[in-house]
Amino acid sequence: MRFTRRSLRIPYIIFLLLFVIAPLLVLFYYGFTDASGRISFANIVGFFTDENTLGTLFYSLLIAFVTTLVCLVVAYPVAYILGTSNLKSKSVIIMIFIMPMWINFSLRITALKEILTLLEGNLSYHPFLNSVIGMAYDFFPFMILPIYNVISKQDSSLVEAARDLGATSFQTFIRVTLPLSIPGILSGISMVFLPAMTNYVVLDMLYNSTYIMGSLIGSYFSSYNWHSGSMIALVLLGIICLFTFFTGGFDEDNENAGGAIL
Amino acid sequence: MKNKAGFISLFIFSFMCMFLFSTVSVSAASSDEKVVLRICNWEEYIDEGDWDEEEVIDLESGDILGENSLLDDFEEWYKENYGVEVEVQYSTFGTNEDLYNMLTIGDVYDLVCPSEYMIMKLMAEGRLEALSEEFFDESVENNYYIRGVSPFIRDMFESNSINGEAWANYAAGYMWGVTGIVYNPELVDEEDVKTYNIITNPKYYRQITLKDSVRESYFPAMAAIKAEKLQSEEFLSSPDYHDNLMKEMNDVSPETIDQIEDYLKKARANIYSFETDSGKADMITGKVVANYQWSGDAVYIMDQADEDDYPLMFSVPEECTNIYFDGWVMLKAGVDQDPAKKQACEAFMNFMSRPDNVIRNMYYIGYTSVISGGEDERIFEYLDWNFSAEEESEETVEYDVSYFFADDKDEKYTIMTDPIQLKRQLFAQYPTEDVINRTSIMTYFDDDTNSIINQMWINVRCFSIKDVPIWAWILIVLGIVYFIALLHKSNKIIK
Repeated sequence: MRFTRRSLRIPYIIFLLLFVIAPLLVLFYYGFTDASGRISFANIVGFFTDENTLGTLFYSLLIAFVTTLVCLVVAYPVAYILGTSNLKSKSVIIMIFIMPMWINFSLRITALKEILTLLEGNLSYHPFLNSVIGMAYDFFPFMILPIYNVISKQDSSLVEAARDLGATSFQTFIRVTLPLSIPGILSGISMVFLPAMTNYVVLDMLYNSTYIMGSLIGSYFSSYNWHSGSMIALVLLGIICLFTFFTGGFDEDNENAGGAIL
Repeated sequence: MKNKAGFISLFIFSFMCMFLFSTVSVSAASSDEKVVLRICNWEEYIDEGDWDEEEVIDLESGDILGENSLLDDFEEWYKENYGVEVEVQYSTFGTNEDLYNMLTIGDVYDLVCPSEYMIMKLMAEGRLEALSEEFFDESVENNYYIRGVSPFIRDMFESNSINGEAWANYAAGYMWGVTGIVYNPELVDEEDVKTYNIITNPKYYRQITLKDSVRESYFPAMAAIKAEKLQSEEFLSSPDYHDNLMKEMNDVSPETIDQIEDYLKKARANIYSFETDSGKADMITGKVVANYQWSGDAVYIMDQADEDDYPLMFSVPEECTNIYFDGWVMLKAGVDQDPAKKQACEAFMNFMSRPDNVIRNMYYIGYTSVISGGEDERIFEYLDWNFSAEEESEETVEYDVSYFFADDKDEKYTIMTDPIQLKRQLFAQYPTEDVINRTSIMTYFDDDTNSIINQMWINVRCFSIKDVPIWAWILIVLGIVYFIALLHKSNKIIK
């Protein structure tokens, strides 16, 4: 066989088959069958009728929502100030914010655990608060980067024009800068919100004994019920697709699409 | 049906690709008469050697020092004694359920080391290869297991059965212990740790950890609920006490499961957390004052805390305790009636039961071996070396471990030890006989019960949608409407 440019795609096809298509099919197979291997919709019906699954979904969404909000509120001013300033060292400052990401995740959370224990005394009094702090700490870089990117690439002449035409700096921010940075915000939100819904390791390590979606899947798998576990994973996948669709992640002309899907 | 076959073949295809390499190496190895032994054991559950010179255990009968990994030692020993080359492929698992899932997916092992209830489950499913008759022949010198296993353990293995077959026919024990509570004596009243009800005791609000596992929470909760009954005069003095205790502690009736659910919900509101693996560290760093724990890990915790001069103690509540053990079993799927393989498996179990190796493992892992040594006194000697009081100490007590070491009733095995050891490592490693008398095995749950109990556990751990107040629902709806409106607007701007 002659080596052509088309041969370059082979590794990717194999990768796709083995690590994307095959697991997905297995997920669908288990999600839509029962213990005896027959096609069954009991799992999906069970998901939407079980008060625990729905409650867990609610709790996961709540944690993810609050985490995203915290990240956004903290990250936006920093990204804005750095993105619009003329500081020479701003890339260094951005790097400082991102640096924790380069340290092993469980190490960071373990350190956070000790710090929070020092501050609070007993971690188990505030499980929800701790989980949000842990998640926000963990996902903060994912929020700051896209927003910073969008703001720093903004055409400064637009802001100047607004000021020339008599807008106050507050009006300029609300009418010009903020709307233009929305793609960055959306991509930041999707990078924080979705992982925050399933990252149960943070909750475990910070002693929050309430299940979120990830731990619920784990619980089903350890009682050998692969069917309900797979269905939860599928429903989560559906939620992610819906979310990406609504935030315009599938639009081809959206330059942040990649980030949103991630 | 056609679709299903397609799914399955794809499933199989993807796994075949993953295991292609391992299969190739196995078939290549078997052609030049080398036995490949695939062993799957708990993480950190075997001596890996590489000890410092200072760590030498200097018994009077000779020094014991772990130089090489026990696995390497086994390969060498097997070649010397059986004249066959053996290669151990060693892997580990994290929980019994993980192991079971691995086996279901199609991982193949010859020899695994699950806990008692998983052994029972595998036995009931007919997946285990029976031990050969030669394994039980006490006249063979290399049969260290049968020559050295404690009569107490041997009894338990012979008297318990699944589908009419004794455990002893399928499993060789490895480590054993009981469950109890590690506690900080300065902050916890000794009276309070005498009962499992400490987990709902408001005095220790948010200061106790339980294990993040259904079974390990089910047992203490059941004992707490039945505390009064279990300690009643009538129950204790019954001639069938032990059988009754087993029955009570393996109760899976719907009413009991409901009661346990309520109790665990109450416990959840009172404890620090259900810990996955942090319980040991939290106990040592003082984040919690008590921790429901396996005796083997309790020894580890107390050892570690001792290094920081932070004395902790171990208590076995008076209601009852869960006796557990891990044992070696051969899997039919792996051994596949290959006599060479079976011989190697059994030799491995025997090698692990040789007294010096037992001592190395016990020293390294902290758990207690099921081997008492039989005629070989080295294990008792090690115990004495470890725990006997120093000669100048004034106060000593006699600690009786005859139930474990003595072959007949007349023999006495006692250690003169420091009184504090009655509540510490010695007590955790070899509990007193009155503790042994109130032990109960916890059997496996069958599939239906398992899913009911798991549902109970999910009910305990999950946030219920019914607990969401109405104002929250209104807020959510408003929020969603606002968000969609915002998106709509922003999309227009971008375009």
